[in-house]
Amino acid sequence: MASRFSGALQLTDLDDFITPSQECIKPVKIEKTKSKTGAKIKIGEDGYFDISGGREQKLQKVEITLADCLACSGCITSAESVLVTRQSQEELLRVFNERKYKDNKGVTKNVSLIVISLSPQPVLSLAVRYKLSVEEATKKLAGYFKSLGADMILDMTIAEDLSLLEAQQEFLERYHNQQNEPSSKNLPMLSSSCPGWVCYAEKTHGSFILPHISTTKSPQQIMGSLVKQLLSESRGVIPGEVYHVTVMPCYDKKLEASREDFYSELLNCHDVDCVITAIEIEQMLGNSNMSLSEAADGELENPWGTEEDGTPPSIKRHIGSGSGGYADHVFLYAAEHLFGETNARLVYKNLRNPDFREVTLEKDGKEVLRFAIANGFRNIQNLVQKLKRGKSPYHYVEVMACPSGCLNGGAQVRSATAEGGRELVRALEAAHERLPLAPPPRAARALYARALHGHHSDKARALLHTAYHAVDKTDLTLNIKW
Amino acid sequence: MSKLELLQTLNGHKGIVWNVSWHPLGNIFASCGEDKTIKLWSKEGQDWTIKTVLVDGHQRTIREVAWSPCGNFLASASFDATTAIWDKKSGQFECNATLEGHENEVKSVAWSPSGQLLATCGRDKSVWVWEVTGDDEYECEAVLNAHNQDVKKVVWHPTMDLLASASYDNSVKLYKEDKVDSDWSCVATLQSHESTVWSLAFDKTGERLATCSDDKTVKIWKEYKVDNQEGVIVTERESTWKCVCTLSGYHTRCIYDISWCHQTGLIATACGDDIIRIFREAEDSDPNAPTFELICTKLEAHPQDVNCVTWNPSGNKELISSSDNGEIKIWKFEE
Amino acid sequence: MTKLADNINPHIYEKGTEREITASDLDENVVDEIDEREIFDLIRNINDPEHPLTLEELRVVEESNISVDNKQNTVDVNFTPTIPHCSMATLIGLSIRVQLLRALPSRFKVTVKVAEGTHASEHAVNKQLADKERVAAALENNNLVQIINQCVAIK
Repeated sequence: MASRFSGALQLTDLDDFITPSQECIKPVKIEKTKSKTGAKIKIGEDGYFDISGGREQKLQKVEITLADCLACSGCITSAESVLVTRQSQEELLRVFNERKYKDNKGVTKNVSLIVISLSPQPVLSLAVRYKLSVEEATKKLAGYFKSLGADMILDMTIAEDLSLLEAQQEFLERYHNQQNEPSSKNLPMLSSSCPGWVCYAEKTHGSFILPHISTTKSPQQIMGSLVKQLLSESRGVIPGEVYHVTVMPCYDKKLEASREDFYSELLNCHDVDCVITAIEIEQMLGNSNMSLSEAADGELENPWGTEEDGTPPSIKRHIGSGSGGYADHVFLYAAEHLFGETNARLVYKNLRNPDFREVTLEKDGKEVLRFAIANGFRNIQNLVQKLKRGKSPYHYVEVMACPSGCLNGGAQVRSATAEGGRELVRALEAAHERLPLAPPPRAARALYARALHGHHSDKARALLHTAYHAVDKTDLTLNIKW
Repeated sequence: MSKLELLQTLNGHKGIVWNVSWHPLGNIFASCGEDKTIKLWSKEGQDWTIKTVLVDGHQRTIREVAWSPCGNFLASASFDATTAIWDKKSGQFECNATLEGHENEVKSVAWSPSGQLLATCGRDKSVWVWEVTGDDEYECEAVLNAHNQDVKKVVWHPTMDLLASASYDNSVKLYKEDKVDSDWSCVATLQSHESTVWSLAFDKTGERLATCSDDKTVKIWKEYKVDNQEGVIVTERESTWKCVCTLSGYHTRCIYDISWCHQTGLIATACGDDIIRIFREAEDSDPNAPTFELICTKLEAHPQDVNCVTWNPSGNKELISSSDNGEIKIWKFEE
Repeated sequence: MTKLADNINPHIYEKGTEREITASDLDENVVDEIDEREIFDLIRNINDPEHPLTLEELRVVEESNISVDNKQNTVDVNFTPTIPHCSMATLIGLSIRVQLLRALPSRFKVTVKVAEGTHASEHAVNKQLADKERVAAALENNNLVQIINQCVAIK
């Protein structure tokens, strides 16, 4: 059965088929009074009992959450049952019903606002699956979630805009820094919106590669910050009582949402509380014996307080790849602001395979910019190895862990037949081309002034950028894998 | 009565010799092991001697060495997670390229029949396919995560770019490239062994595959193509492989290696009971249910486990074997 | 991140008596046949990785769970983890294997297994311990070797 995680994540994280007791070292916190000799444990038929206090106290079964897994050296067993103990679907439905949730720190909170953010790829996936137009699919999804209990359904265009704007700006800074300090690790700049790629880089290549990775947050996490900080404020709701769900094309996004970096100490909550994927929505609909087309109609909202466009909110695309168009946007911005080319042409050339292609900018017969898009693990491998040997010719690479990018994410709806996979990706790419183009990001720009105190303010930096941490590879002592 | 005559016992390595590999011309062989060196042997008069020792290529045990079909390159797979490529362009054997990427121990390396591709596999459960893209330039073509446990060995089909891997997960998998989108994928899984499959070998035509396992059996598999005469159902566009023969009751411990001579059709096995066995297909063997006879049992071939056996590719019936105790032996098979 | 041991308060057993030395033991000319007692003597003092106690004291190894065949040159050791979910099982098994690898003549084929029915992942643990390539690779891991040496060292 195909894993919902990207290939890059599978390689580094999936471990031996040994039951958790062999591998997992999550410490158990037992609440107990001080005793002289340590706990006395009795093994009963239905559990383990602490009898040191004089009376039996059933010990809590250890539960492993994704955050724990990420915190240690990254064992994620492939046994589905051990995987995501926070079964997102069940959790989601429970939150809808009870209006309460338990965050990653184990604290139960009341929920006063449930916000669902939709990214384009899973919506496209569901549209193709249920044979609906994207507009129809969006309406139905909004209606479906509303009927379950969601309060607001949003598109992520503003977050995508911010992510692209920051990436463009970051590239310019890096380019200039590299000119001033040729031996620095500013270039090539590598995109950061794919968590599969980021996790792989942190665990395998660490401090060598990390300086190259863009610090710009992914749209998911920018959306998280916007919802928890700005939206909650505008609605007069405590950030910790907003339950933010994002709809994504892969499971890797669940890991990204659980990162400690995306837990706000200040607000005592995660930026994104739950990630649900296209395939899980398909399952949920299936469990209710319904097709998406049978859901009631619903509407997206635009809560960002800007009425510049006048157009109703909808799923939009950006120019470029189905993974967000990073290479295209940064390229065009750089061409204009570094070389004065306002109408640079983007002609991609396939290298070894269609998942590795490059585009160049020439000025006065000389090549001045060289960008690439590298999808899939084998291409990431080659990119990293070339970088290691100092032979990388690129200024910027859009890196995605899944072959064909996010449209072919690990948790997009699968094709009915084994051979149909390729055709399905093509259908999704075609559907993506037909999406309305996002207008110039006036709303996003307005946000800088209004809420973020300007482009380079600390607030903007905190909300829009993140950091990476090489995972220490020295084995945990008693549990070294061999 | 067939026998295996001992021609020479070679002591050169310290510690376990994991693998020995013949140069395609059959007049040189390479050996590798626990002592982190590769030794190249050739004959001086009647005796095999060490001609070259390759050191400093790896920091840990070298598990397997493989010559390219043209004979100009030697690849070595090591527990240090790298695969080194050696060649003699400069006059001396030097390591001119290192393939990195595996997470931990690399257990096997093999060149495709054209010499354009290399395959490696390891404890990280993956099989990697590399392409030779230029002078000392190798690029990763595919990373295949089909197995869910340690992968022990990879071998290529004798004439096509079809790759086979054997694993701790008790299965064998076959992989092919889809020319349309240059994507490699697993096209078949051979499941029948009850424990780790340690090694495998194609016959001369590549239509049959012999596998050996910790379950103490050798299995012969036959390819049934899409339009086969025997009426074997083949559901997809790929061939089906069926286990048509199991040799059990012969080996008393884990079988570590198997070699199928392309000239004589003889199968040799290396076993943890210190014995080398030779099997031959019976005269009246039915292609769809072949029978193999044990025609030679070399008891105490080595004082410890036999790790590797390999027939001389020139078809002169020479066989080399290596053992845990550091010995390499050259044998001659005689009818 | 240190972990609470699985079994904080294990049951401790008394050590057995020392073996008496006989005349033939001291005779250089007699081919050294190994017996169960000798194997037991080699492994009884291996320390448990988590407790300051030996495998004998924890009844993880017992002489009755060892069998030796001098004709076939085989040694089989079955060990009993203290609790069915003991996460140290593979490490303990590995320590036993290493100790015997270092001490016994090379003619012996050693098999170390979890005693039947005493561990939840019995099959997986036994398979890993039986895989000599995995064991050889493990012993090239310095961190792991250090831990094993600590277990095997005589206090």
